[in-house]
This record gives sequence, C-alpha cells and structure tokens, in this order.
Amino acid sequence: MTHRVTIANTGQTIECSPDRPILHAAVAAGIDYPYICASGNCAACISELKSGEVSMLPHGDGALSAAQKAEGKILACRAKPCSDVEVIWLGRGRK
Amino acid sequence: MNTGIAADRGKACQDLVRAARAIVDAEGPTDAALGKIRDLLVALAGRGEALFPRGDFALPDGGGRNHPLELEDGDGMGLYLTINMPGKEAAPHDHGIWCVNAAISGRELNRFFRRVGETGVEAINEVMVEPGSGMYMTEHAIHDTLVVGDEPSWGLALYGYALIRFPSVVWFHPEFGTMRASPSRRPAEAA
Repeated sequence: MTHRVTIANTGQTIECSPDRPILHAAVAAGIDYPYICASGNCAACISELKSGEVSMLPHGDGALSAAQKAEGKILACRAKPCSDVEVIWLGRGRK
Repeated sequence: MNTGIAADRGKACQDLVRAARAIVDAEGPTDAALGKIRDLLVALAGRGEALFPRGDFALPDGGGRNHPLELEDGDGMGLYLTINMPGKEAAPHDHGIWCVNAAISGRELNRFFRRVGETGVEAINEVMVEPGSGMYMTEHAIHDTLVVGDEPSWGLALYGYALIRFPSVVWFHPEFGTMRASPSRRPAEAA
C-alpha cells in the first residue's frame, strides 16, 4: 500500500509507502528536494504540510520546534505519510 | 532546581573544561589526548543524578535537545548535556571539529566510517555509548548515531567549538549516493 504525495513546488505526484520518509521517496523519484542531513537534524528540508497527515520520526528540537509543528511545518526527511498528502518545501526558496 | 546541585554541577563542568583545555593545549587534539578527555568525561557522567537530576533538564519536544552546561569564553569549547529519545538518529557525518561523548543513562549506538570514493562511506567500527563508557572523534572522523532501546539517552558532549560556532558539517547519504555540507557557523566563514 502506498500514499500519493504531491510536491507543490514541482507539481509532481509520487507514490510513497507509509514506512518511508517523503524526502527519500522524492529523491528516489528524481525530484531535487532540498536536504543536507536527511536525518532530522538540520532543517534544510523543512516543508509545509498543505493537506493530509504524516507521522514524524524523532528529530532534533533545533531543526523543528513545537511552535513550527503547530503551524503545520514538517521535516520531509522525518515525515512518513499516513494518507495522501501535499507538501511544499520552504528551503532554497519556493519554486 | 536545587541551587546546591546546580552550583556543584557548574563547578564540576568548569573543572572538566579547564582540564580538557590543558590537555589539548599541551598535546593538541590527538587520539591520546582525546582519550584522556573521554575518561574525564566518563567520570563526570558517572556522577549521574547527583549532578544531573532529571528535573533540571527539559525533555525534547521532537526527539533531541542539547542543554549548554559550560561554554569557554571566546572561541572555545562547548560542553552540553544531550537528551535523545529512542529512535533518534543521525546519518553518517563528520563535525569538522573534535568531540568527546559519555553516557549518563540510556544507550546510543555509534558506528564509525571511512570514506570510499567521491561520496561513499564504509562502516569500520562501532561503539555502544552507555553508562560507564564514552567515545571520541578527531575532527574529520565520520560517525552515525542511533538511540537504541526504550529509554532516552542522556549524555555529556564536549566539542572543540561551541555548537553556535560550528564549522561546516559534511553529511553522507549512501542511499542517495550523495554527500552534502551544512553552512559553516565559524565567524570568519559565515556568509
């Protein structure tokens, strides 16, 4: 079973299994999603969850604060889709 | 917060950093020097609840948090209490500066790597950092980390520079076939 993940910056929609981070599925699909650590420590892949639900793997508080989470921000490298989702990356400027 | 414990903790942390400074200034950040500092840090961490009671340090919101304990004046070392929740991980990376870790409680698996080709890494060793043990890394050593078990890992981490003045950190991603560097926070190098 997979969920559909739409990357608003590029308009592409990819399939992502619920046990895989969105970033990893996006990079595997050839999308130039911004990242540096890809393990929840740097915030280069910080994104806005436009719709749907994700579960977050543990990450550093310095990379994503509780206040940012309350605003709907996620780290794509830590976020696994629980439904079809739409995200937009906020690093490197929005395309 | 118990002010007596806080005062004792402050003095013990100052003493540790002064001792580490003396070792590094005398010997440089060699393996032998960092091994000595690791042993001092393991001893400090071994004082556990007597110096680092749970109630004095907030747990992470997301999975990992660093509490500053002692920062040298100027461009010096930084000593932190780190708390990482089960499952918290970091991909293979170097720090661009030496570091020494010791566990207060919990278990963190550290795997060490060597570089292979342009962007690859290959595991060469591993250390479980748990109470009574620690590890050190020279400035371009590469490791990854994973908190294992059901218990948060509490530990002490001493870095050659404070985290807010860290050099560029290089991250390796075998799954992607890439390596990427974070921006430097060094005053002379920061954009």
